[in-house]
Amino acid sequence: MTHEHMLSEDQRDALQEIANIGMGLAGARLATLLGEFIQLSIPSITPVRVEDLPAVLGKFVGDQEFVTVVRQAFTCDVRGEALVLLGDDAIPELWELMGYDPASDTLDAASEQEVLIDLSNLITGACLSCMFEQLGRSLTFSPPTLMGRRVSLTQLLRPEAMAWDLSLLVEVKFSIENHTFCAHLVMFTGEDSLKTLKMALDELLECM
Amino acid sequence: MTTRMEGALSDLIVDNMSVGVFVVDPQFKVIRWNRFMQNRSGRSPADVLNRNLFEVFPELPRAWLSKKFESVFLLKNSAFTSWQNRPYLFQFQHDRPITGGIDYMRQDCTFMPLIENGEVTAVCVILFDVTQAAMISYEREAALAALSESSRRDGLTGVFNRHHLEVRLSEAFTQWTRSGSDFSLLMIDLDHFKQINDEFGHLVGDAVLRMSASRIGELLPPTAIFGRYGGEEFAVVLPSTLLDEAMEIGQQICQAVTREPVQCGDSQVKISVSVGVAQTTSAIKQYEMLIKQADGALYLAKSRGRNRAVSSLPI
Repeated sequence: MTHEHMLSEDQRDALQEIANIGMGLAGARLATLLGEFIQLSIPSITPVRVEDLPAVLGKFVGDQEFVTVVRQAFTCDVRGEALVLLGDDAIPELWELMGYDPASDTLDAASEQEVLIDLSNLITGACLSCMFEQLGRSLTFSPPTLMGRRVSLTQLLRPEAMAWDLSLLVEVKFSIENHTFCAHLVMFTGEDSLKTLKMALDELLECM
Repeated sequence: MTTRMEGALSDLIVDNMSVGVFVVDPQFKVIRWNRFMQNRSGRSPADVLNRNLFEVFPELPRAWLSKKFESVFLLKNSAFTSWQNRPYLFQFQHDRPITGGIDYMRQDCTFMPLIENGEVTAVCVILFDVTQAAMISYEREAALAALSESSRRDGLTGVFNRHHLEVRLSEAFTQWTRSGSDFSLLMIDLDHFKQINDEFGHLVGDAVLRMSASRIGELLPPTAIFGRYGGEEFAVVLPSTLLDEAMEIGQQICQAVTREPVQCGDSQVKISVSVGVAQTTSAIKQYEMLIKQADGALYLAKSRGRNRAVSSLPI
């Protein structure tokens, strides 16, 4: 990572802090909505090179061979993409949680996808909005799309086809108490947005 | 611009855009209903406004949709639905009543929070008619399925081609190494095919191949995998079938093919096939060996006078 892209120690601390606060807020809101206790890990913030991306993400999901990935873009003056990596074995237990009626709805492939996409949208929306709220920004999101279902990460993310060199990656693990379901939210900002993000963090630091 | 004019302009835009717009309050009371929604639902604003959305449209998936609204009220974030997972929310007619062939308008929806003083006071839903895009996608899927099917088929006879046959044989073989459930392979060769071609011409030869494939196909069990292996050679994978049973099928094939001559124009062509039969055994380590076994049996059938089924020698 070149020097101008590197976050200073203060900036990094500030980002960690707003990520922590954001996830706390997001967890509380998601818990109210889902009526379950939500666990969000302490976010980890790391710069990542494009060629290391599959390996870094692979580490998050514990080197599971196949993952399901839902993607969304987020925009304010900082732009980026968020991926939710899910294990989709737990769909049946999420089914009622997401408001489906087991008596009248049928769990087919399309509604399975819908559960995954809906839940990903909730996680991404809550976590990123709460985080960027701390920077005084409100995000808009693209509709979520399923990038791949039970595919290998190397198949899904081909670094040679990506038009960036390095990115700042924020990762948080989401789980629901007493459920086996677990997901990883990964957020990337592009190189062009790093400068804006650094300025926003500096503003925040000045106010402190 | 005056505030009054701004309001009038917003109304003009919302009412005349060709997307659906409606707004509900936290009790799901409808507080805005644009012209698109009005025209498509056949329900006027007077009919809908200040009434509970689920009372006006009892066919809506209430539990799920109210959860969706709740998520926007609570999380202050947009939510989405896509036709790919849920083809439609409202049972609206689409613009292709004649050429469409699908039931209702395909819809993508975005649910947006109206935030006032930090609280979400209403949710605005934008409903896009994506029928056209959905239909293109359906057509593409159908074309891909047809293409994938035709890439497995032999152009002349319509049975599987050699490539697909080998793929399936290889799969069956791998399955067998795991499950141990034995299966059999038939190699079938048309007798004196070169002579038929020489005597009656290639068009008749083609007709003979088609007729043989059809006669064989008719008597195979539904689980059989039947393909054209080469010029005048066919092969059949018979899952969960032991040698004795496979031999019986082989003999039936011989009888069925030779039952009556093939009528081609003025010519009557007598046809018959020879069949080599082999079954998986512990000595067979690759699927190619199974082919070799069945081929050996086919050779025996030919040398013993053709028009018969012969089983492979044990190895």
